[in-house]
Amino acid sequence: MSANRTCHGPVPFSPTGRRAFLQFGLAGFSTLSLPGLLKLRSQAKAATGSQAPAARNAVIMVWQPGGLSHIDSYDPKPDSGSEYAGPFKPIATKVPGLRFTELLPRQAAIADKMVVLRSMRQTAGGHPAGSMQLLSGDPDTRDKPEPKYPDWMTVSNYMLAQRGARENPLPAYVGINPPLEYNGPAYLGDTYSPFVVSGDPNSPSFSVPNIGLTDTNLVRRLSRRSSLREKLDTLDRRFDQAQNLAALDAFETQALTLLTNPQAKIAFDLNREDPKVRDRYGRNAWGQQLLLTRRLVEAGVDIVTTSLSGPLCGRVNNWDDHAVNHNVFEAMKFRADVYDQAVTALIEDIYERGLGDRVLVCVTGEFGRTPKISHAASTGAGNASAPAGTSQPGRDHWPRGFSNIWAGGGIETGRFVGATDRLGEDAIERVCGPGDFLATIYHHLGIDYSTAFIKDHNGRPTPIVDHGKAIPELIGKRSG
Amino acid sequence: MFTHRTRSPWRWTRLLGLLAVAGLLTVSPAQAAERPVSFTNDVVPIFTKVGCNLGSCHAKANGGRNGFELSLLGFEPREDYEHIILEARGRRVMFENPDKSLLLLKGSGQISHGGGTRIPLNSENYATIRDWIRQGARMDGPQLAHLVDLEVTPTHGTLARRATQQLQAIARYSDGTRRDVTKLALFESNDAAMAEVSSGGLVKILELPGRVAVMVRFQGRVAVFNAAVPLGAAVTTLPPARNFVDEAVFSNLKELGIPPAPVCDDATFLRRVTLDIAGRLPTLAETDAFLADTSSDKRDRWIDNLLQSPDYADFFANKWAAVLKNRRDTAGDLDSNFAFYAWIRDSLLANKPYDQFVRELLGATGTVEDNPPVAWYKRVKDPKTQIEDIAQLFLGVRMQCAQCHHHPFERWSQDDYYAFAAFFSQVGRKPSGKQNEDLIFHKRGLATATNIKTQAALTPAALGDPMAPITPGEDPRLKLADWMGSPKNPFFAKALVNRYWKHFFQRGLIEPEDDIRDSNPPSNPELLAALEKQFITSGFDLKALVRVITRSNAYQLSSVPNAENLGDHQNYSRYYPRRLQAEMLLDAIDHLAGTRTDFANLPPGTRAIALPDNSYNRSSTFLRVFGRPEAQSVCECERVQTSSLAQSLHLLNAGDLRAKLAHPTGRAAQLAKDTRPLDARVRELYRIAFAREPRPDELKTALAYLTEPLTTATGQKIPEPQALRENLQDLLWALMTTKEFLFNH
Repeated sequence: MSANRTCHGPVPFSPTGRRAFLQFGLAGFSTLSLPGLLKLRSQAKAATGSQAPAARNAVIMVWQPGGLSHIDSYDPKPDSGSEYAGPFKPIATKVPGLRFTELLPRQAAIADKMVVLRSMRQTAGGHPAGSMQLLSGDPDTRDKPEPKYPDWMTVSNYMLAQRGARENPLPAYVGINPPLEYNGPAYLGDTYSPFVVSGDPNSPSFSVPNIGLTDTNLVRRLSRRSSLREKLDTLDRRFDQAQNLAALDAFETQALTLLTNPQAKIAFDLNREDPKVRDRYGRNAWGQQLLLTRRLVEAGVDIVTTSLSGPLCGRVNNWDDHAVNHNVFEAMKFRADVYDQAVTALIEDIYERGLGDRVLVCVTGEFGRTPKISHAASTGAGNASAPAGTSQPGRDHWPRGFSNIWAGGGIETGRFVGATDRLGEDAIERVCGPGDFLATIYHHLGIDYSTAFIKDHNGRPTPIVDHGKAIPELIGKRSG
Repeated sequence: MFTHRTRSPWRWTRLLGLLAVAGLLTVSPAQAAERPVSFTNDVVPIFTKVGCNLGSCHAKANGGRNGFELSLLGFEPREDYEHIILEARGRRVMFENPDKSLLLLKGSGQISHGGGTRIPLNSENYATIRDWIRQGARMDGPQLAHLVDLEVTPTHGTLARRATQQLQAIARYSDGTRRDVTKLALFESNDAAMAEVSSGGLVKILELPGRVAVMVRFQGRVAVFNAAVPLGAAVTTLPPARNFVDEAVFSNLKELGIPPAPVCDDATFLRRVTLDIAGRLPTLAETDAFLADTSSDKRDRWIDNLLQSPDYADFFANKWAAVLKNRRDTAGDLDSNFAFYAWIRDSLLANKPYDQFVRELLGATGTVEDNPPVAWYKRVKDPKTQIEDIAQLFLGVRMQCAQCHHHPFERWSQDDYYAFAAFFSQVGRKPSGKQNEDLIFHKRGLATATNIKTQAALTPAALGDPMAPITPGEDPRLKLADWMGSPKNPFFAKALVNRYWKHFFQRGLIEPEDDIRDSNPPSNPELLAALEKQFITSGFDLKALVRVITRSNAYQLSSVPNAENLGDHQNYSRYYPRRLQAEMLLDAIDHLAGTRTDFANLPPGTRAIALPDNSYNRSSTFLRVFGRPEAQSVCECERVQTSSLAQSLHLLNAGDLRAKLAHPTGRAAQLAKDTRPLDARVRELYRIAFAREPRPDELKTALAYLTEPLTTATGQKIPEPQALRENLQDLLWALMTTKEFLFNH
């Protein structure tokens, strides 16, 4: 078995790296003094980049619900024949040797600002199980209605909460039209679920409920009635040795702050952005969603997710391009421009605003789509469909090899990791599983995924990553 | 990395080499006098002690860290031996130079080890492993004395606060030898707030009084040290003992020197017991009648009243439906959800004996339509989940661990697990004609289940109790029900009374309530035994149990602590308040706001506490945010009772709450139109919310607020009637968000 087939690849040679230390240690440790040994060990540690971060790191996950066709985007296979290859021509990117399809010209032009991982692999073919595999690490291949394990977002929210009270009034975890269908907090409970923002942030009437009320009468009234409550809240509190009431008070104060503090409102107010910036992301739901993710991490939110769904996807509102739903190629064309613009703007913006180290961006779906094209009769309905009754091409669910992209997080960008085979069917180099995906994100948030256990309802300690390691190329210079 | 191809021949040469080394050693006179180090009895316990074989390290599923695999907590020494000797090209042990063995180099941190230094150079553990390697790294022969028992000394004691106690762990072996294994045993306190214990077995008692246990573990054996930690205060006044519950609670308090709170007042009792038995607040009429009643037996009569009411059945059916997983996964589940819920509720209303209730559920056959408890088999399909649920729910035993390995804190082995699973091996299924629903029947045949490790086929045995042979014609599940319902069963009644005790006292006598084991002793064993006995003698009468508990003065103590019992959190010297659960709180808010919440497919006016299944959590943000369970888990802990930002935001600003406050026929609107003097209206509001009259200062604050003139942000005066209405809404809101309202106290 070639070492290059595993997710972590061959051990890179580095004179101060762990391997070098190990060899040295084997040969001559007995002559080394203890201080010398400690010094050597700290050098070895510094070389692996596990230094404490100066400020809180954050993660933005952009989700493609239903699964992006990797063949038609980041992993083109022009020579695979007409049964496989789609109509889109590969184009060169800023990174030598890396090609995208012509659907993504803007991302191709900034490919030096991202890492493309072309060898993601999981084992579930259904949307629920596929999402649960990737987001919670559940190995189950069968679809089930509710997740068994908490997703990485709620786990991270929980783990960050263990570090102590948050000083920022904004919630730690915000979902903007978030993917919530096939994941969730499981045994962690809803306390760790996201603060959800829904609706179209591009709409002039867009507003976030429960944040920065604009109605001054209402604000006055809330403050006035809260002070009445304070006077009437006379229960003898001495019973509360566990400080549950104090926690409740803290949440009440935070809630009132969110509702009445203008600063909280500002974090969600896209009108405060330069119109040129808004234009750059695209004046549509996806563009403004991604802009909002950037605003929120800038304001101190730790975990932001957003799902690229809805009418911009085409008829079925997601990326599930079976032939019965869509003509896959028409659908990809239908949404590509908006997608390409928004993702490009987010990545560039993250770097331009100095968030390139602190904020890790990941764009992914639960799986890719079948490299081999299938055909079915079109219903003719909605966008991107052939006339009713005529045969149209589609691609089905494909977990055996797919792509996602990463930026920010202090990672060394401008490269691509892993590969699928000639037809784009199986990940064959640097095969990375859900555990590696999760470990990469946890590592960036400074969560020690190798030792962290959370007890489930039965009291059984469950590891947050059962099997996997942070992907070396996606470890930033200040993560962990 | 080397692969399977190179591995097999290498394994053989390694084994031959080993034999040769072993042969040499046996004839060496220098080594003959030395005590041979046993892999099983000496080396493996070191791995366990220093944490090598934890699930997060080398006992990680599918391979262990860095490819070095050990069995969890050393339960499989033979496998551990093979991993150490035969893998990694034999570098893990070096006979010629034991100090160069990877096992020692890594364990002692001399070369980079992800787990750090676990076995320091020059430590006793290091020397033991080195000696074992030097002696030839042999596996033990069949004549090896095996561990038969673990003892801890002392076994119990009374310790002052801040006192320390050194424990000693003694292992007893099959050849009669005894050995001090304190250095190798693992120690764990069952209540970290009460006692800490060092890795060497030194117990340090902290500030809180009560009872605490320290579990001592060594190679699959468990022993327990029990400590009583008295507060030592004078207990001069005790409420009269009304029944055996009081006798047991108060004698424990006297023994520990913790003075109890006095018995609570009528208003507090009325609100508390109505919430705890009927899951709702008392109505205004009930409150007025109860407070006016001067007879001495009015509390007992009120308890009887509540137990006869359908509200009791609604509330407890809600509790049971969640842990029996009456879950709506698809819209098609509706009929079965309703039927199963109705069966649970009717059983409780009719006060069906608990053993019979469990028997009907366990042995259910037929279709959901004809026999609703079949719905449990619809939802819980996997036989392993069936036994795990049954054991945890009805016996308070968590068997999950024993599916794959010996239970770390328990006596349960994999044989126990699969022998228990055998009871469910003859559950037959065939299509019922309704989608997703099977007809359940008893499949004729000899019940057996296979231990996945040993491949042995096991016949049914109930948690170590051998059973008389079950013939192919008998349904083994009914035999299990017989065993459970036997008066001698040590688990069944105990698990239920502990669960119900927790319902009323917020803390089980054993905690968590469904984790009953020798290593997790009750805080008041006499009380638990007495409750168990009463429950069995009553013929498993649930209402009688509730009556005994709630009639006691122990249940009726005030929640306000005194200077001495402030720190008590397990001896019931005062009532421990708890936030109302989601459904209760929604109903209570409707009750106070004079509104109702409507739910799909149910008659208008159905209260949240009477909802049959989890599907309503989807339509009600309130229920979801306040932690109503989704009936996923057999553990009541699925219900979230902690506070969160989302809850506070909801109470502060959610649309449904605002609508309730401003409802045109709601409480605020009615009271605004009411012609009585304002103070009478405020007093009524207090009786509705808290079952008590307002205190003078509260009345004054409320009246001042209600009569305050209002202006808009731009300074315009708001007309008086509208101002009063808005102020009343504010007062309602303020009352329903006080801790006094949110908590049962």
